[in-house]
Amino acid sequence: MDPLPQDPTVEAEGRYFDGVSARPHPVRLHLDARFRVTGREIAKDWDPLDLRAEDSVPPLMRVGPAHAPDRVEFSNAALAATLTARCPDLHRREGAGGAVRLVLWSVAAGISVLLVAVFGVPYVARLLVPLVPDSVEARLGAVVEPQVVRVLGHPPACTGEAGRAALDRLVSRLVAARRPDGSLPADLAVSVRRHEMANALALPGARVMLLSGLIARATTPDEVAAVLAHELGHVHTRDPTRALIQASGTSFLLSLVLGDFTGSTVIVAVGEALLSAGYSRDAERAADAYAVEMMARAGGNGAALADILERIAADDGPRGTLDLLRSHPLTTERAAAIRALAGPSASGRQILPEKEWGALKGICATTERSSDRSRTP
Amino acid sequence: MSIAMTEARPGSAPQGVSVTFDTTFRGLTRLALKGILLSLVTFGIYRFWYVTDLRRFFWSRTTIDGSPAVYTGTGKELFLGFLVALVLLVPIYLGLFAISLAIPALAPASVAISFVSLFVLGQYALYRGRRYRAMRTLWRGIRLGQDGSALGYAARAAGWWLLVYLSFGLAFPFMRASQERYRINHTLVGTSRLTSEARGRSVLGPWLLLYLVGLGIPIGFGVALLVASDFSLPSDLMVPKPGGKAGETILNPAYAGTAIGRLANALFFAALICLPAAFMLIPYYRAREARAFAGAVRLGGVRLASTLRARAFYGPYIRYVLSLVGLMLVLGLGGVLLALAARQVNFSFIHWFIVLGYVIMAPLGAVLYVRLVRARLWAAVATSLTVLNSEDLSAILASARGAGSGLQEGLADALDVGGALQIGL
Repeated sequence: MDPLPQDPTVEAEGRYFDGVSARPHPVRLHLDARFRVTGREIAKDWDPLDLRAEDSVPPLMRVGPAHAPDRVEFSNAALAATLTARCPDLHRREGAGGAVRLVLWSVAAGISVLLVAVFGVPYVARLLVPLVPDSVEARLGAVVEPQVVRVLGHPPACTGEAGRAALDRLVSRLVAARRPDGSLPADLAVSVRRHEMANALALPGARVMLLSGLIARATTPDEVAAVLAHELGHVHTRDPTRALIQASGTSFLLSLVLGDFTGSTVIVAVGEALLSAGYSRDAERAADAYAVEMMARAGGNGAALADILERIAADDGPRGTLDLLRSHPLTTERAAAIRALAGPSASGRQILPEKEWGALKGICATTERSSDRSRTP
Repeated sequence: MSIAMTEARPGSAPQGVSVTFDTTFRGLTRLALKGILLSLVTFGIYRFWYVTDLRRFFWSRTTIDGSPAVYTGTGKELFLGFLVALVLLVPIYLGLFAISLAIPALAPASVAISFVSLFVLGQYALYRGRRYRAMRTLWRGIRLGQDGSALGYAARAAGWWLLVYLSFGLAFPFMRASQERYRINHTLVGTSRLTSEARGRSVLGPWLLLYLVGLGIPIGFGVALLVASDFSLPSDLMVPKPGGKAGETILNPAYAGTAIGRLANALFFAALICLPAAFMLIPYYRAREARAFAGAVRLGGVRLASTLRARAFYGPYIRYVLSLVGLMLVLGLGGVLLALAARQVNFSFIHWFIVLGYVIMAPLGAVLYVRLVRARLWAAVATSLTVLNSEDLSAILASARGAGSGLQEGLADALDVGGALQIGL
């Protein structure tokens, strides 16, 4: 084929590789309307439209036909420029591009995963909780309790004998006063630990943990009993187990899908904190109602729950992530709802006689001495 | 080099060609910034395409005897491999989670069980990832390859790490050399097999230096402490810090001034100084190891020689840390000025500034890391290499085997082992 008038010939030296061996063959390159490679026993005649260039640093260029293994390498800026001008597909890559589509699809996928984490996982957790056998829940509790104790900084358990007896009587009165349908597991275990925080926690496997700060801040036994009854409400609806399933499901999902990437650990941590801090408002309202009714049936003052929550809120404000109010946020509506449920006559009643209340207040006077050591050199 | 001299054919000095790398890094910043920002908005999914772009960049800028390497992997392959690996990993994760529930006796050991099984799985994944990278690498049209068994590699890694543990870390260089030999001896260039003569002895010196600095001095003080206390340390040497958090302890003031107290203090300060010092020696060890192992690679008559200096490994890290500090100073200064300006306007403004700072810092830091550390380390290793007896390279023939499965690197990504750019494959 004759070179077209607008295609001046460009020539250069290069090296030819046949794709079978790594041996370089010195060749002469000749570009007009065709791209010719000639050397000893080598004569190639390529259509410039078929040529593709592999990535390289200029002036080095490595080109060859798209669907054959042989390539030539040359370092000639003039030939490289002419070749780029005459081969429209020189830098085309199969399967490249489509970044916008990729970004849109992965954003959609990411949002769908987030929606599953926010709405799907809580829903599935609610469906799963009734299916968890009591024995498995008891094991879950046994695994979780040491973790919680560790997070709290290993507070010692309170074992004052008189206080323990008063607490046991209080718990059995509350359990006896439950609603006919308000079943509670037989292996309910209420423990008290010495910690300045005013809080109470319900854990999976019918474990309730009172912190001594709560008992110290209470002015009447009904306040302690009402918080206890509130936690029993969570135990009744198995909220702790649901929260555990929900939190592990969410973090599992997020860390699995995000894999490892800059900031993904942050996202996972924030996600977990956002999605599993405390229970939903509905769960809290249900536990409040459960507590007020239980207190009324047991002959106590249900409105005391609102009293102690308001006192702690006024003193502390929401301080730390483990605070009672962070996990049980108090609103004026919530306090008003508690008082309305309890009725006007509730405030006169007291659930424990003064003597037993005194014993309960002293439950942490003696604690298990586990970490004290003698100080002699 | 002495071996090179004795083995060289009489009459012809060993002919060397250098490995080159384009150190202008033109286009790298844009590539990294685009990759990181797109990875952020796509919840990390774009990272497979980003890694592919990075590899194409580094491969194509590395030339051996004038010919650049070619990377033919695609982001789609990596992504599919990751999805398949997720499906395989879910039951494993669930099983590890269930162990502590099903067998309460094992609950305290569940962390250790997870760690060990995920470590072995990670080694398996590393080997398979390396196979993928080898099979997607071409040079002069010749495809690289890797045989050998990933399970065997993982088993060897587990056994060697047990030995390292039992020998208090002294076996570490021998493990590194043994695993390097396994990797290199199962690497193919076309039909030719690479072989490695890496020996643990060759890096024992640098390792012992690191070992003595990091562990020797504190252990020495520890032994002295034991001798001073007649091998029965007083149980009240450490007491809870008055007014401190739970678990915080201080040295019992009653021991101040005694030999035991002075030795305990010395042990404390030695650990405080020696462990960071040993940490600072890691690039030195890595450089020496890279040089020794590169020099041990053979391909028929072809051999590699490396002139890598340890300072080539320190420079990138120092520059990176200095740039980060400078960046933080600039951002912090801007923050203070803005906070002063916004003091009367709005208090919560400062929170937004912190968020903004993080959003700017994270991608910039990642770009700086690629540009100042990854690229410089790659360049240091590549440009220090010389191919001796390079005329024998012409004897390499392409093999008939195909490119292999594209799913092999997914497990490594799902487990977060290995990196986008493993230097020297």
